[in-house]
Amino acid sequence: MPEMKKIAKPKNFKKTLKIVLISLKKWRVLLILSLIFAVISVVLSVAMPKLLGEITTEAVASLGATGKIDFEPLSKIALALIILYIISAVFAYFENYICTLVAARYSAELRRRLIEKIARLPISYFDTHKHGDLLSIMSNDIDALASSLRDNLTTSISSLTTVVGILIMMISISLPMSLISVAIVPVSLFFVGKIAKKAQDYFVKQRKTLGALNSEIEEDYSGQLIIKSNSYEPTATANFSKVNNEYYETAWKAQFFSSIAFPITHLFTNFGYAATCLLGGYLAIRGELRLGDFQAFIQYVNQFNRPINEVAQIFPAIQQTLAAAERVFDFLNAPEEEPDPAQPKALKSVKGEVEFHDVSFSYDPEKPIIKHFSAKIPAGSNVAIVGPTGAGKTTIINLLMRFYDPTEGYITIDGVPTREMKRGDVRDLFGMVLQDTWLFSGSVEDNLRYGKTSATLPEIRAGAAAASIDHIIESFPAGYKTEISEDSDNVSAGEKQLLTIARVMVANPPMIILDEATSNVDTRTERQIQTAFEKLTHGRTSFVIAHRLSTIRNSDLILVMKDGNIVEQGRHDDLLKKNGFYAELYNSQFAEE
Amino acid sequence: MLKIFLHYLKPYFWQAVLLVVLIGAQAFATIELPTLMAEIVENGIEKNNMDFVFATSAKMLAFTLFGSVCAVASGLLSARIGTAFSRDLRLDLFEKILTFSTDEIDKFSTASLITRTTNDVSHLQETAMMCLSMLLRAPLMCVGAVVAAIRLAPNMTWIIVLGVVAILVGVAVVLGLALPKFKLFQKMIDKITLLTRENLTGLRVIRAFNNEKVEERKFDSGNRELLHLDVSIGRIFSVESPLISLVMNGICLLCIWIGVSLAEADASYIATMMAFMQYAMHVIMSVLILTVVLVMIPRASVSAGRVNEILRHTPKIKWKKETNREDETKTPEVEFKNVSFCYPNAPENILTDISFRARVGETVAFVGSTGSGKSTLVNLIPRFFDATAGEILVDGINVKDYKKEDLMQKIGYVAQKGVLFSGTVRSNIEFGSGALEKSALDKVANLSQSAEFIEKLPKGFASPIAQGGTNVSGGQKQRLSIARALAKNPEILIFDDSFSALDMKTDKKLRKALEPEKPKIITLVVAQRISTVKDADQILVLENGKVVGHGKHYHLLKTSKVYREIVASQFSEKEFESELKIAEKEGSHA
Repeated sequence: MPEMKKIAKPKNFKKTLKIVLISLKKWRVLLILSLIFAVISVVLSVAMPKLLGEITTEAVASLGATGKIDFEPLSKIALALIILYIISAVFAYFENYICTLVAARYSAELRRRLIEKIARLPISYFDTHKHGDLLSIMSNDIDALASSLRDNLTTSISSLTTVVGILIMMISISLPMSLISVAIVPVSLFFVGKIAKKAQDYFVKQRKTLGALNSEIEEDYSGQLIIKSNSYEPTATANFSKVNNEYYETAWKAQFFSSIAFPITHLFTNFGYAATCLLGGYLAIRGELRLGDFQAFIQYVNQFNRPINEVAQIFPAIQQTLAAAERVFDFLNAPEEEPDPAQPKALKSVKGEVEFHDVSFSYDPEKPIIKHFSAKIPAGSNVAIVGPTGAGKTTIINLLMRFYDPTEGYITIDGVPTREMKRGDVRDLFGMVLQDTWLFSGSVEDNLRYGKTSATLPEIRAGAAAASIDHIIESFPAGYKTEISEDSDNVSAGEKQLLTIARVMVANPPMIILDEATSNVDTRTERQIQTAFEKLTHGRTSFVIAHRLSTIRNSDLILVMKDGNIVEQGRHDDLLKKNGFYAELYNSQFAEE
Repeated sequence: MLKIFLHYLKPYFWQAVLLVVLIGAQAFATIELPTLMAEIVENGIEKNNMDFVFATSAKMLAFTLFGSVCAVASGLLSARIGTAFSRDLRLDLFEKILTFSTDEIDKFSTASLITRTTNDVSHLQETAMMCLSMLLRAPLMCVGAVVAAIRLAPNMTWIIVLGVVAILVGVAVVLGLALPKFKLFQKMIDKITLLTRENLTGLRVIRAFNNEKVEERKFDSGNRELLHLDVSIGRIFSVESPLISLVMNGICLLCIWIGVSLAEADASYIATMMAFMQYAMHVIMSVLILTVVLVMIPRASVSAGRVNEILRHTPKIKWKKETNREDETKTPEVEFKNVSFCYPNAPENILTDISFRARVGETVAFVGSTGSGKSTLVNLIPRFFDATAGEILVDGINVKDYKKEDLMQKIGYVAQKGVLFSGTVRSNIEFGSGALEKSALDKVANLSQSAEFIEKLPKGFASPIAQGGTNVSGGQKQRLSIARALAKNPEILIFDDSFSALDMKTDKKLRKALEPEKPKIITLVVAQRISTVKDADQILVLENGKVVGHGKHYHLLKTSKVYREIVASQFSEKEFESELKIAEKEGSHA
């Protein structure tokens, strides 16, 4: 039994509808064609019971008149019917096909636009939106939009046509009988609506208890060792059982109410059926209704309810679709990164002198983070950025790489303001190794080539050797062709880190940004990584989020950060003498006694 | 799958029987309607008998009402049985999983165990409910309609057979063509999702390397492939609904044609044929519903398999009903005698031939690189794993001869990551000890260095802890975990790499605070920082599961190369040199 979704509503119905329609514009001919096909197919099938009835009527008539049946006119009707069946089926097929085709193309185009949009949005967008939400737009919302286009669009038109068509046919057979059938509809809809509301309420409750149940399970399974070592199992089971029972109580009610909507509809359909038989029988006896028409009418009554229910569902379906569409197009229309300057400046040969000119920055205008920071970093020097977790050390990286731009002031490289260069060119100047070791699923070789697409195999090997991971790579079953799987489970954390270093070695940029933090790495690998870091930063201007004492002591400039601010800057010994925040930090983190 | 269903439906056997009866009655009521209609036509309309028409219509209404009442009652029953089934199954799974040892949990992975208890069970519930309603109703309707049709016109039944065969062939062809593509389609969807996720997680790296266009090209080729598949599946499925209408319409026409031909000999066939046509439709609809249901069952049987795997699994660790206290020592003691451990089917030992003995008041530390087996070693004591060879004695008794509660009561275990449970600060501290006096609570809070931050919380000990302890920091979580272990008043305190989450200052303060407690207990510490373990009475240095050094800090500095390496990587050069000098001096004293 599918769980009923809470009916989502778009924030701006009209606007979103307009956007969706515009986005469908290039398929309008196909869509209109499929609507026409749907109408033709429906009109034909609505005519069928009446024609079938004609056979009966004709047969009864000739039976009554001659005692024999004249098959001549009957076979003409039958032939006409067969042709109608086939034509209707063909139209229905093309209608279906066109709809799926458009839906498939539409979703493919939306996916493409979405992925291109990702590249054009500023980093800040992703720092303030959850990845899960964006993934959900990509998979769920686009899918919802496409399947709604495929299923609801023509269904709504054909249901509407069917209702009108059947109504016309029924009235043409007998007005009083039609009135009975029509009168039952609102009553039926009223009751079904009531039940649906009730089911909806219980589904909401069910979802809540399900959430509680799931967190109970998650918590107990993840904390199993603690439960075990404290002999807590009986209590845990009792707690679980309680929530499990609560879930049962809401779940069966939700299931029950959603399951009886169908029999209730059925009850009313059959009411109509019995009433039609009664009235039809009466009229037929009085000779006001032909037997074939009676038969046709009964078929119409049986067919009447389904499209009515479908028509009743159209509006909520459109609302749900538009709610999904709104999320898709909100993303696609989010403000993009400021474009690169029309005449960007470029560096010819790079020395690597970086200067911060009175730089101020804030993520949130209310809370300025970096205030009027100036520093000149001569080419080839090593800068250590230190501070407690959450002090905003990555802000500096964000500014250097132009993931974010300063709100005031500017940064220059060899005297050229980075703002006046292309973002891509600025980023090319830096090699970046972060704590989060991102590799994509693909071969080791492709991953190493990521920073320099033109790199030859010898170049790649040299890079791997410089990061002392060449031996490890050779020991992989497929060497450089080894596939790194999703989430890279076949490569250890230390190996991943070394690979990201090798990746930068291959690209060989003039300046380096790196985060020294290594997690979950044993002492030996740790040393390997350390050596690789030293090679990487040697002779290059480097910015290091430092965690190691030796790095900090040997650096040319230490930037001390606290609560997002650069609070002190200088060399190790000078800063210690100052006896400020750095001294305190140093003593708590590194000093033994 | 059937086994699970039968086993868990047993307690609801009579309800299930009643359900079958109700569904049967409902099917009967629905099936009677066309026959009654045929009677109206034959005996009422054709014989101009209005009273008969009236009486029969009333009968039809009565049948309808009866059928609906049955349907509602059967809906109630199937909802209750289906959800009760999943409730019982879920509870059994939960209890079973709680008995799993660490390697069993690792084998299945916690995430998978969670999905099995939640999604898979829900999926089975859905299937159970579907079986209880549709899978029962459709064959009953089908059989009922066939019987009624045969009773009416045995010489026309072949039309129904023809219709059913045509529908089955049509559906089989469509599914046969589409299903293989569906599998491929799902794979492509996964690939697209993966690429999107990579684009988001690797955002900074992609931009740093200026590779936005490369990523777009990769995505585009996947996207095109997906589009291609999508369209070709659509082309196949577009046939299905027109085909079904075509068959159904054809059958209607055939019924009427044959009925009319037969009416030449017997006029009553006109009425018969009208009812027969409706029976044919009932049969075909039921068959269609059955095919839909049957397509869904393989999916459910995957879930059933996953659930069954857990239910059938016999937990490896079995506990004694009563502890055998024959050899119990008077004072706390932990001894490892030639202990080895190996994961099932793994080629190499995780631990090989470990022996040591810890007496009351002693602190034993375990150091070594990641993967050296130091954490596994201490996990053998509370039997999170069982040693594959050798013996582990706690207070002179083999851990395998303990009743679970008796062993656990002696152990205070602190895991690598602080694990808290939703509740309050207090309920978390009292997790293993049961209710504590305020003074005892204050004492453990002080010892574990938690008192300070607990006081700052809005409600002190009564402050709520969210699921997974997300509303306190990592260090605070760890300190509360230590408080929880201390609250039990354990004989043996195990710190499984518990100090890494604490900063140096807290680490030191904590060790100092615990000092007065130590003479009464045994402290076992797995640690990464040498500073944490420097003062331990015994240090075991592990590499690849073997003890490569055993002794005190300065002794090891002199004798163990591995130990020296570890110290060198953590101390500054100056400190390292001075430590070595002390080691030399101590050596000459000894």
